[in-house]
Amino acid sequence: MEITQTLDCKGLSCPMPMMKLAKAMKGLKSGDILEMLGTDPGTKSDIPKWCEKTGNTLLEATELSGGVTRMIIQKN
Amino acid sequence: MAEPTKESGVLVQLFRTFFGKHWPVWVGGIVLGTLNILLFAIKSPWGASGGINNWGENVFSSVGLINIESVAPVNENLYGMLCLLIVVGSFIGALFSKEFAFRIPPRGELIKGFIGGGIMAIGATVGIGCTIGAFFSGVPALSGGALVFTIGLFIGVIIALRYLLWEMDKFPKWSSGKSYNLLAAKPNKGGWQIVLGWIFLIGVIILAYSYVGSNLTMTWFIIIGGLMGMISQRSRFCIVKAFRDPFMSGESHGAVGVMAGLLVGLVGFTAIKLFGIGAEDASIRAREMTWVFPHFWAKAGIGGLIFGIGMTIAGGCAVGTLWRVGEGQVKLWMSAIGFLLISPISKIFIVPSVDNMLPHSMKYKNFLPDYIGYDGAVALVIAIIIIWYWFVKWNEKTGKFSAF
Repeated sequence: MEITQTLDCKGLSCPMPMMKLAKAMKGLKSGDILEMLGTDPGTKSDIPKWCEKTGNTLLEATELSGGVTRMIIQKN
Repeated sequence: MAEPTKESGVLVQLFRTFFGKHWPVWVGGIVLGTLNILLFAIKSPWGASGGINNWGENVFSSVGLINIESVAPVNENLYGMLCLLIVVGSFIGALFSKEFAFRIPPRGELIKGFIGGGIMAIGATVGIGCTIGAFFSGVPALSGGALVFTIGLFIGVIIALRYLLWEMDKFPKWSSGKSYNLLAAKPNKGGWQIVLGWIFLIGVIILAYSYVGSNLTMTWFIIIGGLMGMISQRSRFCIVKAFRDPFMSGESHGAVGVMAGLLVGLVGFTAIKLFGIGAEDASIRAREMTWVFPHFWAKAGIGGLIFGIGMTIAGGCAVGTLWRVGEGQVKLWMSAIGFLLISPISKIFIVPSVDNMLPHSMKYKNFLPDYIGYDGAVALVIAIIIIWYWFVKWNEKTGKFSAF
C-alpha cells in the first residue's frame, strides 16, 4: 500500500480536520491513498461516517502512541 | 492462535458500554433534553452563557478592574456551578474513556479560539442567551424570540463557514504548524486516566453532598451539570455541528441529535408551563414566561447572528466549548477565556447602546401561546423541526447546500 499524501491534523479541533481532509481529497485521483494523523477524538466517529457518505474507503484506523489516531483513506 | 481471554465481569461490560466508544448523538440529545426538563422542574432551564458570564464577573471583581456590584461567587451561583460541573463531568467522561490529553494546536488556532469566544460573548449578551438558553431551552420554552435567534444562528454559521473555507484556502498556515499532545493514554494502557476519573467522580459526589443542608437546588445542579458534561463528551453533542455540518460536509447526525433533544424538551417544558409545575409562590404566568426573554425580534436576530459567527470560528458554542475544555482541547480553553473576559465588558459597554438603538417593538417578550395557543405553538415548533429534519436529510443525499 503506497501512501500518496499525509495530512497532519495533530492538535486541531473540529471542524479543521474534516475541512482539511475534504480539501486534500479533492486534490487526489481515484485510487490514491491518504494518510491522516489527528488527535481530536471527534474524528474517530466523524471520518468513518464521512467516508461512508462520500463513498471513499476507510482502509485502516489505528491508535498510535501519544494519543494520535491514524486513518488510511482511499479515494473512490 | 490467540490466547483465550478471560470474559469480563458484568460491571466491566457495563462500564465499556458507556465509555468504550462514542454514543450516537441522538442518544445524547434525548438524555440532555430530559435533564433539561429536570432542571426546569427543580428551578429553571439549562443555560450556559450566564454561568460563563458569572465566571468573568468574578475574574474582573477579584482584580478590581471593573466595578460590578453584587457579583455572586461561583460556588453560590447555580449556573456558574452548572457550567463548572459540565467541564468536570466532561473531564471525567474523557478520563473514563481514556480520551483525555492536552491538545495544544498551532498558534493561529489559539487566536481563533479566543476571538470566537469573544464574539460569542457579544452575541450572547446582546441576544440574551446562547445556543443553550436562547435555543436548546428557548425553543421548547415556546419563545418567539428563540425562533428568531435560531434564524440568526443559521445566517451567522453560513457567513463564518465561508470565512473558514476562504481562510483555509488563502492562509493555510494559520491552521498548521507546531502542535503538542500531552498526557495522552498509550494504546491499551493509560489506566491512570480511569483511576483519576474515579477520584474526580467521588469528588463531585462529595461536593454535591456538601450542599444538601444549605442549598438542595445546588446539589441537584451539581449532579445534573456533571451528567450533562459527561453525556455531551460521550455523545459529542455539539450545536455548532448541528448547524454547520449540513452546509459543510452535508452530514446530518449532529442536527438530528439536537432535534431529538428539542422534541423531548418541548414535551416536558410544555407540561411544566401548562400546569404551572414548580410555580410555588410565584404566579403560573411567571412560570410560563420562564426563558421567554425580551429579545423578540431584532435583539434576538442580531444576537443569534453574532453568536453563530463566533461559535463557528471557535469550533464550539458555549456548552460545546465547556465540554471540550474538559477533554483538554486547548483551542477551546482560549475560547472559554475569550468568552468569560468579553462577556462582562459587552454587558457594560455594548448591550446598553444596542438597547438604546432598538425600540421596544424590537425587543419584547414574545410567548407564542399568547398568540396561537399552546396547541398552535407546539404544532409550529414540531412543524419547524420536521422541515429542518427533511432539509438536512435531503441535503445529505443530494449535497445541494454542502461545501464539500
